[in-house]
Amino acid sequence: MASETKGEKDSIFHRLYVGTGAFDIIGKRKRWYIFFTALVLVCIAAIGVRGFNFSIEFVGGTQIQVPGQGSHGVITPAQASQVFASASGTQPSSAQTVGVGDAATVQIRSQALDQATVTKVEQALFQQLQPLGANGQPSQQSISDSAVSASWGQEISQQALIALAVFLVLVTIFLAIYFERWMALAALISLAHDILVTAGVYALVGFQVSPATVIGLLTILGFSLYDTVVVFDKVKENSRGLLGLTRRTYAETANLALNQTLMRSINTSIIGLLPVIGLLVVGYFLLGAGTLQDLALVQLTGMLAGVLSSLFLATPLLVDFKMRDPKFRQQAERVRARRANLARKAAERDAAEEDFDPTDDDALESELRKEKAYAAAASAPARTPRAHQRRGTRPSGKRRR
Amino acid sequence: MASPAGRIRPGRYLGFFVLIVVVAYALVFFTGGGKPTPKLGIDLQGGTQVTLTARTPDGSAPSKDSLNQARQIIETRVNGFGVSGAQVVLDGNNIVITVPGPQGEEAKKLGQTAKLNFRKVLDSAAATAPPTPPAPNSAGATPAAIQQAMAVRQAPALVTGSGDSLAAASTAQQALTAFTCPSQDPLQGNDDPNLPLLACNQDGSQKYLLGPVFLPGTEIADAVASPPSQNQPGWTVNLTFKSAGSQTWADFTSKNIQQQAAFVLDTQVVSAPTIQSAIVGGNTQISGSFTQQQTTDLANILKYGSLPLSFTPSNAVTVSATLGLASLKAGLIAGAVGLALVFVYCLFYYRLLGVLTIVSLAFSGLIVYAVLVLLGRWIGFTLDLPGVAGFIIAIGITADSFVVFFERLKDEIREGGRTFRSAVPRGWARARRTILASDAVMFLASAVLYAIAVGDVQGFAFTLGLSTVLDLIVVFLVTHPLVAMASKSKALSNPKLTGLGGVQHVAAERRARKAAAAAVKEA
Repeated sequence: MASETKGEKDSIFHRLYVGTGAFDIIGKRKRWYIFFTALVLVCIAAIGVRGFNFSIEFVGGTQIQVPGQGSHGVITPAQASQVFASASGTQPSSAQTVGVGDAATVQIRSQALDQATVTKVEQALFQQLQPLGANGQPSQQSISDSAVSASWGQEISQQALIALAVFLVLVTIFLAIYFERWMALAALISLAHDILVTAGVYALVGFQVSPATVIGLLTILGFSLYDTVVVFDKVKENSRGLLGLTRRTYAETANLALNQTLMRSINTSIIGLLPVIGLLVVGYFLLGAGTLQDLALVQLTGMLAGVLSSLFLATPLLVDFKMRDPKFRQQAERVRARRANLARKAAERDAAEEDFDPTDDDALESELRKEKAYAAAASAPARTPRAHQRRGTRPSGKRRR
Repeated sequence: MASPAGRIRPGRYLGFFVLIVVVAYALVFFTGGGKPTPKLGIDLQGGTQVTLTARTPDGSAPSKDSLNQARQIIETRVNGFGVSGAQVVLDGNNIVITVPGPQGEEAKKLGQTAKLNFRKVLDSAAATAPPTPPAPNSAGATPAAIQQAMAVRQAPALVTGSGDSLAAASTAQQALTAFTCPSQDPLQGNDDPNLPLLACNQDGSQKYLLGPVFLPGTEIADAVASPPSQNQPGWTVNLTFKSAGSQTWADFTSKNIQQQAAFVLDTQVVSAPTIQSAIVGGNTQISGSFTQQQTTDLANILKYGSLPLSFTPSNAVTVSATLGLASLKAGLIAGAVGLALVFVYCLFYYRLLGVLTIVSLAFSGLIVYAVLVLLGRWIGFTLDLPGVAGFIIAIGITADSFVVFFERLKDEIREGGRTFRSAVPRGWARARRTILASDAVMFLASAVLYAIAVGDVQGFAFTLGLSTVLDLIVVFLVTHPLVAMASKSKALSNPKLTGLGGVQHVAAERRARKAAAAAVKEA
């Protein structure tokens, strides 16, 4: 490839930055398909074998949060769960300190308790541990509680799934109108991949699945699709009038579009991920497990899966779908025929030129000039290597005639 | 494009944007009391939020009318407490009660159906109290469990005739003996008034076989809590009936002297007095083992009427002011960290264009805040923790519009061999399409989520969608004009500053190559 000589000269980052990258992604798509198939299989297996770690919203339960500072000093989870057990008559299922510094709280979780018991527990916690409120005075108002019925998480998730279905239908319509059928299909398949992989990572790592996670998943779909839209937009632009020309095949056009949008995809992902990482870290240190962290974690996982699929799955799939259309196959055939023709001509010419007379100054000079032009053309980016070759060969053909 | 490349007037766009900002902030400061803070959700300022989910006996979706009616009744109940700033909204099949501040504990009891019915006691027996405290497992209240409980406890075969006498004594007695008081009643508030009922009293010490409802609670005109007196050792609720109810009550009491009538509240017998004499005049009393608070609550609830549906609390959260403040801080810090990271990256990667990104993001933040305050006033939009997360995640989306534009500029310079200045109008024309398409997808996702999902999600979806729209405004009115202005300034379009040197270099190489090829051609 023409650009490979250049690649040695410039670092990969420079190539990425200026967009002359020329990474052959479409050509190696079989490899990517194998990779994605394996990934999806692993994820399905993980979901099947390990299942999900559902949060309190799905199983139902009570959670009480006490400030980490009491007037007798730091409140430990052990103290809190002891008071909890004696006041409620049930053992809490977990007690832990979350957050740091002033924001630290002790979180006690248990099976669902009725309101009267919760009030009793809160009174006991207040009397025995004297948690400090915002104003530095012990107060019962500083204790937070939440009681969730087992069906709540299901209801939220059910609605989210309905939302997912509606979203998919609308987005298919949007994509089919804005782009075309095959693009919509390729985008949807990569969306399915994103959902599966994100769910698989959750099952595999054992991250907690809360309603916030389910919601977060939905917005990733938006994000992943958004990335795909940008790549496809470029594919569409590059392939305008493609069928009438024999310069490039659809696969090459798509690969070019991928390379042109590669840096944008990487930049978008980094810029999208930076705030999410901030959210995750800050959420974890200041609040412990909760909405912020759940949302951030699922976004992080999903964005990574999303950028991967929009670059390496959606576009290769699009190319394969397109190639089912005889028009595009014929065009690719024409491109091949033309190139073979050119290559043959070039070979003939080279053979003919083998016996040029080096004593003829004129002939020597023009040959040297030609060699120089070939060398320059050889460092051209992958995008138009044939074009340069053509420029190089056509004059010679004329000259011979 | 109507106005061809290079002839946009950046100043006009910027001026228009400044106008928008000025108007928005004028509205913020000079209307609606002028308090320039957005409305915060209870998870950020502390308070209580109770989500009540409607539960129908057969699991079918409750009608919109009955939900609305229930919402109104609950609202009057909330107002009866005298708490300020409380809000009752309908969210799908749920009613969400939000009470800011510390006095929200009582909101957790507001979801009581409070169906008071009057039934005749046909038989009764002592019962063993169920083990306490059992975990109230509301998953037990599935339609199947309700149907099953109904089949056993409301079997029509328990009574004969019009329902005021026992069926074959053995059948009824067997049923009464076999019946044990459930710790959590799946029927609660869902019993069929036309059928007999097996029920227990409040502490589960007595079980009753009751006839069909002869007088429904809707006939109650007023209810007042009344303190203990000489005749009444405990707190009682005094009821006044409407005229028809009063008549029914008088008829029943005169016919059933020395028999028991049961006051059944949400499928639980609260009191079963023995009728001493006919009661005419439309007044009666319910006496049970009540505390003062309970009688007041009961009177309050009865007065405002019973809910047309029965509800279970799906989610009851009390957030202390301390925790709310901590969450708010965490959200703000996370936002600041996220913005800072994006700033650093943009500066590093795009140099001058990065500065423009920062300026655009800052403007975006400015207008987001104003819109937030205004929406809080106009449509009661409250910013909660998921909403904050939505904004933070939207930083990436907003910044991405700039990335799309800048990468397009580089494309134009590289492929087209243009200068920075001439690349801007062409790059913009093409980037605009992509930005519109991708923002449309994102907006679609958040709009669907907002319309369909329930719970905290809506805040998240709302802020995400809002950011997407504001992003369009900022990128059209701020970023593009700024870049256009920078491209016209000699000093600012210096390749070293814009970081576009690399691309221009590539373009120059290509031109050189073309020239070389052309030279060959000429030869």
